[in-house]
Amino acid sequence: MDADSFADLALRVLAREATDEERRALDAAIAADPARGEEFRQLEETHALLLAAAPMAIAAEAQEPALPAYRLNELRTAVRQHFGPVAARVPIAASPSRLAASLRWLWTGGVTTVLAVVVILISFSDRSVEVGLYRTSPVRGSDAPLSPTDVPAARVIAFDQDAPFDQWKKDLSWNEHAKVWIDNENDLLHIIRRDKDGSLTEQTEPLARTNREQREQISRVVESLQKR
Amino acid sequence: MWTDSELLTALRRGDDEAWEETFRRLYPAAFAAARHPLAALTPTEAEDIAIEALTLLMPKVKEVGGFDELRPLVITIASRKAISEKRRQLADKRGGGDVTSLDALQDDENIRFEPADQLAGRLSASDLRELSRLLDAALAELEPRQAELLRDFLIHRVAYKELAEKYRMPIGSVGVSLSRSLGKVRAHLQTTPTLWKEMIAYLR
Repeated sequence: MDADSFADLALRVLAREATDEERRALDAAIAADPARGEEFRQLEETHALLLAAAPMAIAAEAQEPALPAYRLNELRTAVRQHFGPVAARVPIAASPSRLAASLRWLWTGGVTTVLAVVVILISFSDRSVEVGLYRTSPVRGSDAPLSPTDVPAARVIAFDQDAPFDQWKKDLSWNEHAKVWIDNENDLLHIIRRDKDGSLTEQTEPLARTNREQREQISRVVESLQKR
Repeated sequence: MWTDSELLTALRRGDDEAWEETFRRLYPAAFAAARHPLAALTPTEAEDIAIEALTLLMPKVKEVGGFDELRPLVITIASRKAISEKRRQLADKRGGGDVTSLDALQDDENIRFEPADQLAGRLSASDLRELSRLLDAALAELEPRQAELLRDFLIHRVAYKELAEKYRMPIGSVGVSLSRSLGKVRAHLQTTPTLWKEMIAYLR
């Protein structure tokens, strides 16, 4: 049997189109020549491989047919069944990984901390000074009593009653820098201030005799406090 | 328009639109795989298999590394499903006594389906991509007429006699031509020995 006849016979057998007689002829040819046996084995192997795998490889390039519209609802139902109701689905895209989520928390926390520190620093850097006095301070001499225009750098707070004035004296909020008030009863000027380390210092000095002198005294004290 | 990365992320969270887009993109490949020549299913049967293969992507979507892995995955799923369906149909026929030779059918099934089933089940996405590339290159090296003849024989399962008529050649020359083409393709595939050995091992 020549090579072409053997090849034709081998392919007929592989294609399952050979008669029983042709099968026997192939078996005889293989038995008579081991090289033919090897030739057939290789053909059979390649044929089996391509028969199984080539359609899959070709399928990868398929562009049609399009998905039948009437099957789409079936697929949508399958998605709902697998992933559950839309509202219950986990928004993975919003938190792609635990690492990213952790980093976001850290970042947010960091920003919050920085903002808090900035606020605190701004607060502590507040150099404003409040000056407290009774609205009807006794007039000493011919000058008018202290008014906000006399100490524009300070915030003058006038009180009509003792209680709120006393309460104001006690409180120096964490973000307040200093308070000054006039103690006419003892002729003292009280000064309470927050130092750079956060501690409070209270001191007094004799109150000037006249309103004009008091205005100058308070302006000087306020200016001094703002420089601290 | 989705990028592959966006699409995969959306698929993992069960986004309806993303899945619809994916079904549309992958259906042609799933259908083609379901029409595996060995299974020889009808178009309606293949459509059912393709739809089932697409739904089977859902539990797998968290395991794939990229969207491009879904195409070979659905192909292998659809191919196996199609072959299993054919086996089931043949088993039903056997059960109904609708065969002339039980032994012949059993033998035929084992010879034809087992290797394909094994291969479809074990080929990875990257293997299938590589095989596809190699086959394209191998067929491109053949004369166009020979490549077409081989496709008709392997993919379209055209009978010998019809091949001889279609290509206007003596019926005795069909086998010779096919044998030479198979030898050339084999030689080309063997240029990637790792994949070749892997595939041959799957066939046994």
